[in-house]
Amino acid sequence: MATGISRKASSQTVQKQTFDNHAGIVDNPNRAAGLIDMHPARSKEHSASPEKGAMEEDGVIRKIKIQGYRIHKNLTVEPNRKFNLIVGANESGKSTLMEAVALALTGRINGRSVSEELNPHWFNTTVVEEFIKKRASGVPVSFPEILIELSFEDLPELQSLCGAINSHVPTAACPGVTMRVSANPEYATELEEWAKSPTSLLPVEYYRCDWRSFADKELTTRPKVLATAVINSHTVRTSSGIDYHLRQILGDQLEPAERAQISLEYRRVKASMSETALNAVNTRMSSVHATLHSRPIALAMDQSARTSWEGVVTPHVDDLPFSMSGQGQQSAIKISLAMSRHAGRAKFVMIEEPENHLTHTSLVTLLSRIESLAGEQQQLFVTTHSSFVLNRLGLDALLLMGNDVAAKLSILDPETVNYFKRLPGYDTLRIVLANKIVLVEGPSDEIVFERIFQDTYGKRPMQCGIDVLSMRGLSLARGLELCAALNKPITALRDNDGVDPAEHRGLADAWLKKGERELFIGEVAHGKTLEPQLIHHSGETLLRDILGIAAHADLLKWMSREKTEAALRISSASKKIVPPAYMLEAVKFAHG
Amino acid sequence: MVNHLTLAVAGSRKTQGLVEHCASLPHERRVLVLTYTQANQEELISRLKQHAGNHHYIEVMGWFTFLLRHFARPFLPFKFAGQRVLGFNFDGRPHRMAKGIGRFLDSNGAAYGCELGRLAHELVAESKGALLRRLECIYDEILIDEVQDLSAHDWEIIDVLLHSSIDIRMVGDIRQSVLATNPRSSKNAKYSYAGAIKWARERQSKGLLEILESVATWRCHPDVAEFSDSIFDPSWRFPETKSKNETVTEHDGVFLVSTKHVTEYVRLFQPQCLRHSVSSGKAFDLDYLNFKVSKGMTYERVLIVPTAPIAKFIASGTYLEASSASSFYVAVTRARQSVAIVLDKAGTSSLPFWMPAVVTAERMGLED
Repeated sequence: MATGISRKASSQTVQKQTFDNHAGIVDNPNRAAGLIDMHPARSKEHSASPEKGAMEEDGVIRKIKIQGYRIHKNLTVEPNRKFNLIVGANESGKSTLMEAVALALTGRINGRSVSEELNPHWFNTTVVEEFIKKRASGVPVSFPEILIELSFEDLPELQSLCGAINSHVPTAACPGVTMRVSANPEYATELEEWAKSPTSLLPVEYYRCDWRSFADKELTTRPKVLATAVINSHTVRTSSGIDYHLRQILGDQLEPAERAQISLEYRRVKASMSETALNAVNTRMSSVHATLHSRPIALAMDQSARTSWEGVVTPHVDDLPFSMSGQGQQSAIKISLAMSRHAGRAKFVMIEEPENHLTHTSLVTLLSRIESLAGEQQQLFVTTHSSFVLNRLGLDALLLMGNDVAAKLSILDPETVNYFKRLPGYDTLRIVLANKIVLVEGPSDEIVFERIFQDTYGKRPMQCGIDVLSMRGLSLARGLELCAALNKPITALRDNDGVDPAEHRGLADAWLKKGERELFIGEVAHGKTLEPQLIHHSGETLLRDILGIAAHADLLKWMSREKTEAALRISSASKKIVPPAYMLEAVKFAHG
Repeated sequence: MVNHLTLAVAGSRKTQGLVEHCASLPHERRVLVLTYTQANQEELISRLKQHAGNHHYIEVMGWFTFLLRHFARPFLPFKFAGQRVLGFNFDGRPHRMAKGIGRFLDSNGAAYGCELGRLAHELVAESKGALLRRLECIYDEILIDEVQDLSAHDWEIIDVLLHSSIDIRMVGDIRQSVLATNPRSSKNAKYSYAGAIKWARERQSKGLLEILESVATWRCHPDVAEFSDSIFDPSWRFPETKSKNETVTEHDGVFLVSTKHVTEYVRLFQPQCLRHSVSSGKAFDLDYLNFKVSKGMTYERVLIVPTAPIAKFIASGTYLEASSASSFYVAVTRARQSVAIVLDKAGTSSLPFWMPAVVTAERMGLED
């Protein structure tokens, strides 16, 4: 079989992968170099034609379409092949996106079938409101629907799911699955009766869930080729010791022969219990006629399906049962199991907020593990609120949730991706999530900028939706590039360091755009850095007054040595400084 | 080239051959076994369970299901954007003037069985290769039983499959192709019915197909086999049937029975009585089976009430047209030991008349 061959081939190419050596990768220069080589290809792949894509084995979801599901009225996402880091503000629908994808891949949600779990809150409230409004005004619009459509790469092993029963225009055939929740015509009368006095809670009892492949074949169980692992931070505290997702992951981990062997052996052990320990008890009890019809009563191990080995076999960490380990450890184990290389491993791995419950050190370890395990034929979806996770796993994998679209970073220089990877502590997520961003060089610039803004507009920048971010010694150009890739408006400020501003601008020209992304630099004649610029514009007298510096002290020397302190004194002073021209310009530009 | 067409005679254990072929294949080979009739489908499934139950990638499917599942359902939008096949309408026929989608689907969105082959064939090209690629990825080999039952557009689909990377293996007896997928379609008329042999030989000459001939019948007595061969115009070049039936009874071979002796014959030999259709054979009150329905059955003896052309063929040797020849062939080859044909005027036929013993004795008495 074709799949068998490709699996064999891939397992040979990934032999170097190990489970133990996941620490210290961040600092390992060889490893980092390897990553550099890995990335230039990635951004190009986004625009690769389907024909070319078919040759490559990694990443199979090419398009996600969600309509009317929870917050997503109409969302289309074309995910990256390998890594997808889903970021967005609270309530932007990150988890909902993951949930929807898992729903269409597995036909289940939290271990239960879609029709069992279906409830009125699944429907997009705007869609439902529109429906009610239209019906109330006499327009016979149809009942709200939920559609989740996943289009896959045109891979040979997915061909049984291939067809043209999809929403693609013009008509196109590719493998895919659709989950549709719609009004059931069998209940037409009841539905219309309900619609006479509708509420915002749709009568889901009259709805049906239809899970189909693009070949228009109804799906009842998850196709094996769509193996999915869902790792969320919900703690495992179920009675059986493992939750549904972990059971699924464990199930995929075991070869059928191994499963059968475990099952048989477990049954044998149980049977032997009946013959040994229980035997004495049964002998004694046989003399007791306790039942209604005087039939002999005996104790035996329950051999029914309900008591199969899966209920009692659970992973142990250092001899502690899985459910007793810490939450962080639990996620780490789940991730390792789901991503380790074995024949039946998940094709899709969805990890929700891996940063939860983890110390910084554990997070570093976990991310390294994710990175080293992620290989061919696996597509990863990770939601995160952590810049660290984002930087570490690669900024180019970013999927920014917006209204009805998820923006991708398609044109980020691999060098920049690596730059942030090596400096993962940087708060890139703030850049990504801010509406308007001001990038300055250091903390003193940040503080002075905020004060000038306040003086000019009577409000703090944050109140106007403007986030002022200090690059803290990191390259301003990298930040600019990131904003350009995100197509974000940006105000950037920098010192001239004795170089003509025009020269600085020339270097950053590729990322700048008149009216949207501009770079503000003080005149060389007014001073190389912020401090001489401040002295030049405000004058020594005013500044000495504001800063409380005695006449005998060297103002420039003090300011240059105590940059942050100087900035803080300016910020808290009752008197206003005369702002440097480039800063005032920047303030006005940022305010818009 | 690994495409094969096995042309077999009636009673040559075709289906068993298919089952044995399946059992001999590597276990991981993904095989689709297609057949036309429901009865044959069930027969195949049960025999495969017996003999190739350890092959988990063998799938048995009816021809129409095949066209629905792998052609019409997944790819209909290539011809009619946004439309879906919602069911199957076996008996219905589109209105003669039906245009567009109405030609292929009824008002409930169910595909007309008689137009499904045409739709499926058109979708192969319309899908720009996606359809065939999908099929090639799903199956390594497709086996088609009772291939003689396919007609018209179905043959175009076979042609497509012959050119694909899937190994095609077909088994059939084109001498008994009395079922037609679309009786109204004039497309491929030259291929339909017994004319299909020409189609196969054309493919063989192009190197697409290897024709194997299986001429041994385990069912029919040598005399019955020989007579069944004589039904077809020799210009069709069917090979001679070899009988492996060595059973001898008191009444073996092909006989003529005059109308006045029919009742006595039936009482004595209890043959299965066969007629062309409900409208034929009304002269006798017998428990008939129509020719078509008798397909696939085996009986010790049969009695055939001939149609006018069959009677003419026997009396004067005028060959039947293809479809009549096929249906007569089916009727004759149902029998293991004897075939009786009701006929009063034997003409030039060399077939012997059966006489009741009493009559024979009387005649002998008269002659004395």
